[in-house]
Amino acid sequence: MATLVRSIPDYQSKATTQTVATSRLWHAYTLVFAAACVMIGVYWDISWHMSIGRDTFWTPAHLLIQAGGLIAGISSGYVALETTFAGSEAERQASVSFWGFRAPLGAWLSIWGCGAMLTSAPFDNWWHNAYGLDVRIISPPHAVLAIGIFAIVVGAVLLTLAQQNRADEQTRRQLAVVLALTGGFLVMNFALFLTEYSERRMMHSATFYEVTAAAFPLALAAMGRAIKLRWAATSAAACFTGLMLVLMWVIELFPATPKLGPIYQHITHMVTLSFPLLVIVPAFFFDLVLHRFDGRLATLPLSAILGVVFVVTFLAAQWPFASFLIHNPLAQGRLFNANNFVYWMNPKYEALTRRFDPPEPGSWPLAAHLVIAMAIATLTSALGLMRGRWMTRVQR
Amino acid sequence: MRRLSVVALSLAVAMVASAHIGSPNVLFDGNAGPYPVRVIVRPPEVVPGLAEVIVRVNATDAQRVLIRPVFWRTGLKGAPAGDEMRRVAGQDRVYTGQLWLMAYGSLSVYVTVSGARGSGTAIVPVASFATGRLPLSPALSGILIVLGALLIAGLLTIVRAAVGESLVPPGEPFDPVKRRHANVVTAIAAPVLALIIFGGARWWRAEDAGYQRNMYGSPAVDPTVTVDATHRTLRLAVHDTAKFQAIYAPVTPDHGKMMHLFLMRVPQMDAFAHLHPTQTDSLVFTGEVPALPAGHYRLFGDMTLENGLSLTVTNTLDLPDAPGAVSPSDSDDVWIVTPSATRVAAGAVASLGGGFTMSWKGDAAPLTARQLTDLHFVVRDAKGEVAKLQPYMGMAAHAVVVRDDGSVFIHLHPMGTVATVSQEVFALRDRGDTTSNGRLRAGALPGAMSGMSMSGDLTFPYEFPKPGRYRIWVQVKPNAQVLTGAFDVDVR
Repeated sequence: MATLVRSIPDYQSKATTQTVATSRLWHAYTLVFAAACVMIGVYWDISWHMSIGRDTFWTPAHLLIQAGGLIAGISSGYVALETTFAGSEAERQASVSFWGFRAPLGAWLSIWGCGAMLTSAPFDNWWHNAYGLDVRIISPPHAVLAIGIFAIVVGAVLLTLAQQNRADEQTRRQLAVVLALTGGFLVMNFALFLTEYSERRMMHSATFYEVTAAAFPLALAAMGRAIKLRWAATSAAACFTGLMLVLMWVIELFPATPKLGPIYQHITHMVTLSFPLLVIVPAFFFDLVLHRFDGRLATLPLSAILGVVFVVTFLAAQWPFASFLIHNPLAQGRLFNANNFVYWMNPKYEALTRRFDPPEPGSWPLAAHLVIAMAIATLTSALGLMRGRWMTRVQR
Repeated sequence: MRRLSVVALSLAVAMVASAHIGSPNVLFDGNAGPYPVRVIVRPPEVVPGLAEVIVRVNATDAQRVLIRPVFWRTGLKGAPAGDEMRRVAGQDRVYTGQLWLMAYGSLSVYVTVSGARGSGTAIVPVASFATGRLPLSPALSGILIVLGALLIAGLLTIVRAAVGESLVPPGEPFDPVKRRHANVVTAIAAPVLALIIFGGARWWRAEDAGYQRNMYGSPAVDPTVTVDATHRTLRLAVHDTAKFQAIYAPVTPDHGKMMHLFLMRVPQMDAFAHLHPTQTDSLVFTGEVPALPAGHYRLFGDMTLENGLSLTVTNTLDLPDAPGAVSPSDSDDVWIVTPSATRVAAGAVASLGGGFTMSWKGDAAPLTARQLTDLHFVVRDAKGEVAKLQPYMGMAAHAVVVRDDGSVFIHLHPMGTVATVSQEVFALRDRGDTTSNGRLRAGALPGAMSGMSMSGDLTFPYEFPKPGRYRIWVQVKPNAQVLTGAFDVDVR
């Protein structure tokens, strides 16, 4: 409460802090639930395509994604209407204006995300009809869908953040845990979208470290700064890792056979995504660096340290772990899931996945690419830090 | 010696795909074990995509019809369990279903009928290639533009709120300085967003171009005619044109021939030949052109690969005069010069020569495109009796259907549009009569098949793909000689 009073000096004259701080917590939790539905649905859907292949709209995985989107959109729409037309003064003051309507920023982002998801539906349908039922994650309509999902997750983050930034100490702790979970969703969002660039066989290649450097530091730095937990980035990464592992270990227990052909892998159970990337390692070191230097160094030197730390620690963890996944027979069981071949993977490609991709002919040495990866990670860390700073200031 | 070389221009055709030109639907009349069936497969224009399958079982005791997509590369062991077809309401014997064709290449739809007399399977080969691309309709474009505009405007509003009002503690005023700052950031965000959208549009265009590069491109054929004192030799060099390879297996004989070549003089359509050039290299075919008059000809060459894929190549050529009498290089070569064709109508009769006639027994009503049509002909002898036919290359009859502009071509048999050799290839594949790299063992296939009905009452199931004027040549062998009937039909 004291923190709140310090940060909002004029506020007490207009409404009780307690009322605003905890108002509509249900909405924050609903958005987190919606984001969880979407993220679990997306994972399940990818697994569905890897195992069964059938792509009707009415698969449970699709329904979970759509339900998540609708829960986010409808609950936020309700909050917007209620705040605009029947909201208390305190609620109206904890909201922002949007085309004459009022709602918290996170609600608007969720509504927008729901709109983007809905827009992607006819676009995606046309895309499949025009270019075939693609089995690719990265396509323009899927990008629109991913941006919509991203917006819903960020909406959940912002709504919870705004509550956290206004809350008393006890509520703040509670919300910080929820925020760590939403931070995990953000990391998962990046990880899922980068699936095609982070296959096991690529984990000794320069591109893998450049691509991961372009994504994860952004989420880790932002979360590390914004969530009011001592091990904020680590917690978010732990939520990501935990969720991915639970989904991997649970979904792969269910029997499944492909409904489409040609079938090269005669699977009997659901195929799940590979063992999650060890993002938790750089996340831990991000927290260490932030504990020591955040507030003492300017954004640029701090992000340079984070950039180097990300690449070095991620490389130190993922490189040997990738060797284990590729070469060690122990990795091929259900625990590490290194035999997760999609039903359409032909034996030639399977053979390619049992060794690391050789460097592109004529490409620069790996060390040079790692320096580039550090530069990229510096940039994304800087963006993450700026975003984190902004997130700590969000009040509505 | 006089030497002329003619390399003709490639024909531009609207739709191309495998063993036909512009006529993608597959029809099969035959048996699934003890059950007579008629199967129609309408492949999707894009792959992966949904093929529509219709099966009519001409038996009362069928209980269940199952369809499975079987790809050549993986055979039956790599095929999914299959989908049960739905019986069409009010039609006891007609079943419908859909199948996902997920990969490019040679595929067969396995139709398994089960009933009181056990079960049996018919193999219906289908070429699985992307042949078209759906344009964005104006209505959908409009919807997407409106939704996109709303999303962009909404995002800019959110950006403005994110850097402005959302940072103001509840109850504090959103003062003009903060408001101006928010406006400036939004003004900067707008071109950044425009840049992202521009990048997205470029990505879309690149994806579209990539898709079009991988669409089926008919293999091309380069014809060369060489004339000397005693020969008029046609040499055909076949090659792929598309980025992906359609010809990725060796050519295998169909009805005992490596290529079935059809020549027709255009635009008159008065000279027609069905020839069988010899394979002189893997994709080079050479043969003598028989006594056809000089002129401008359109050619269609049918060949089947060892993976069961049937392909048609097409081009035009200018045929010079023959230097003298030329003899065909294959005993089954047939050609005909007729100034006119019989127009299809109720009771229309074409004289075949030798006292034989061929009459149209199909629908009296005008024929309609995109509907199943039985091209029904009856061959009669001089006494008016239905003639007994000898097999011509293993078949009771061969029919060639060509649209007058050359945009549609198909080589039909009474069993439909499928090549029997393709069915054989799949049957052999399943029995394991192939080597490890997928090639057929030499001699694994019989030279010619028989067993068709040899009655002169003939039906060719077909679906005209589009309206227009078509020429149909029907070839039968009622005595030792192959005779050809020519018919013209207008399709609405």
